[in-house]
Amino acid sequence: MKILIIEDEYALLKTMEDFLLSEKYMVEKATDYHSAMEKTMIYNYDCILLDISLPGGSGLKILDKMKKEGKAGNIIIISAKNSLEDKILGLDLGADDYLAKPFHLLELNARIKAVLRRKQSDGKLLLSLGNLSIDFAQRQVFAGDKILKLNRKEFDILAFLATNKNRLVTKETLAEHVWGDNIDLADNFDFVYWQVKNLRKKLKNSVSQAAIENVYGIGYKLTI
Amino acid sequence: MKLVNHLILRITLFFAIVMIFWSAIYFFLQMKEIHDGNDEGLTNLKQEFIAKANKIPEFIEKLEKNAPLNIIIKEIDFEEAETLVEHFTTQQIYFATELEEEEVRMLTTAFRCELTGKYYLLQFFTSTVESDDLMKNMLYLLLGLWITLSLTIFIISKIIISKANKPFYKLLDELKKFRIDNRQMIDFPKTNVNEYAQLNKSIKELLERNIDIFNEQKIFIENTTHELQTPLATIIAKMEMLIEKHQNDKKYTKEIAGVLNILNRMKRLNSNLLLLSKIKNNQFPETSPVNLREILDSVIADFEDLAAYKEISIEKEGNYCPKLQINKDLAYILFSNLIKNAIAHNHQKGKIIICCSSDYITIANSGNEVPVNVFIRYQNAATDKKSSGLGLSIVKSIADLYQLKITYSYNEMHIFRIDVKR
Repeated sequence: MKILIIEDEYALLKTMEDFLLSEKYMVEKATDYHSAMEKTMIYNYDCILLDISLPGGSGLKILDKMKKEGKAGNIIIISAKNSLEDKILGLDLGADDYLAKPFHLLELNARIKAVLRRKQSDGKLLLSLGNLSIDFAQRQVFAGDKILKLNRKEFDILAFLATNKNRLVTKETLAEHVWGDNIDLADNFDFVYWQVKNLRKKLKNSVSQAAIENVYGIGYKLTI
Repeated sequence: MKLVNHLILRITLFFAIVMIFWSAIYFFLQMKEIHDGNDEGLTNLKQEFIAKANKIPEFIEKLEKNAPLNIIIKEIDFEEAETLVEHFTTQQIYFATELEEEEVRMLTTAFRCELTGKYYLLQFFTSTVESDDLMKNMLYLLLGLWITLSLTIFIISKIIISKANKPFYKLLDELKKFRIDNRQMIDFPKTNVNEYAQLNKSIKELLERNIDIFNEQKIFIENTTHELQTPLATIIAKMEMLIEKHQNDKKYTKEIAGVLNILNRMKRLNSNLLLLSKIKNNQFPETSPVNLREILDSVIADFEDLAAYKEISIEKEGNYCPKLQINKDLAYILFSNLIKNAIAHNHQKGKIIICCSSDYITIANSGNEVPVNVFIRYQNAATDKKSSGLGLSIVKSIADLYQLKITYSYNEMHIFRIDVKR
């Protein structure tokens, strides 16, 4: 899988690169409008992470050009603006997702995977973890051949932990992914704990090979 | 007191004092003039009399017999004549014909007849203008004059000053309407008066400066919060990489988790600030007819889990579906902040009652503490470290943006009420 990161802030670019390399992706970088335009026109990527405000021009122009050239997208816009117009315009121009800065790396990971999954030709949106398989299209989880009944949020938690398997997911990152930006509440962590506890119980009861591990009380990790 | 009345009252008062003063002077001068005239006449009469008495024998005797009406003649001795000094007096004399005393001007003098060598006391008098009557008449006349003049001055100056002040009052009205966050310059009244033109100019400059500063500040806040996003993203990403690499070291991992926690708070604070300044900069221009009840329902659905976790019951009353022409996302943000607030400041097994009526929507929640001014930033309970304290400020600025009245009251429950009828 080849990913192009278009980002002018070098420190952030480097960190994203390190992270994506650790996820076993091939990473290419562009730090300004012209090199980004050049790369997108010459090569094909499985996924492009596109910053909108670039030195030399707007990332939206690159998007527009790609659309006109009929280049396959898989583009995730990463913008500091978090403005609705940009988001709508970007999605209209063929971007697949929009991620506002600042973001969590694990959230980025989940988004990239979701985009890649959606573009898979076989159309099956399955993720297997031992005897556990997650169907993203139907939002269903099977333990072996038995269906595991989860509510909406429990599915979201499991899906997020599964996409970031073997990684430490802090409670905050998890809460933000599952409940959105709304979750700036004093007691949201106990709430997350409560939800994860229920999920763990269900996993245990279904004799799943995947288990959610509590890491030092700061977060969780899904392991097989 | 209005400036016009203040000015006119003083002008009129001053004018009245001057008039009274001058009237008195005028009266006394007039009286003096009249007396002078009379005195001259009496002196002439005296000289004529003396000349005739010295020429014509028995003139005095004859005159005494005839008893003239305006002369009193009395023979006196030398000593008496010697001591008498010629003088004028004003006095009352009884006139039989008029049946009353009349005021007369009298010249009293002594005289020695050269023909007879006898001494006489002579008193010539002439009836004069009665000072009482004169004073009365003059008073009436002057009073009439004062009143007419004062009234004229009052009315004319009122008209003139009011007219001249018109630009001033119009400016005042405009200034009252001025709101800096509208960033709209007021209409300046046209004026030919130099001072008012200068006032207009100064105020215009002042307002322009303020609007500029206000704009700059707004843009500054937005730019700063915006510019902070990328560095913040970098730090968070780096910290997340660190935690990833060192997760076998418990102490280290916990330490970084602590830092991440603070960074996330900063991130929320920053994005809330950005949202707040975007709302205030009116960067959500698209509006559509929004069914508030639908929005409320979707907000409630999103917070269901959290409410269930705290065992808070959410009750809905009223079947109205108030509609408003607003931005849908802002409507969602408005209600999600209110519901979030109602959950956060609630106790375990508490209650939230949402009531939709045709005119207003109320969101009431149980809870202990009684906050004072809930819409001011950072008024959140001090213990609440995870909340940015901006939630209700955002609510308020959205309500302000659409001129919706939002009020808070406490009556066993905390009640937020939004009037949807503008």
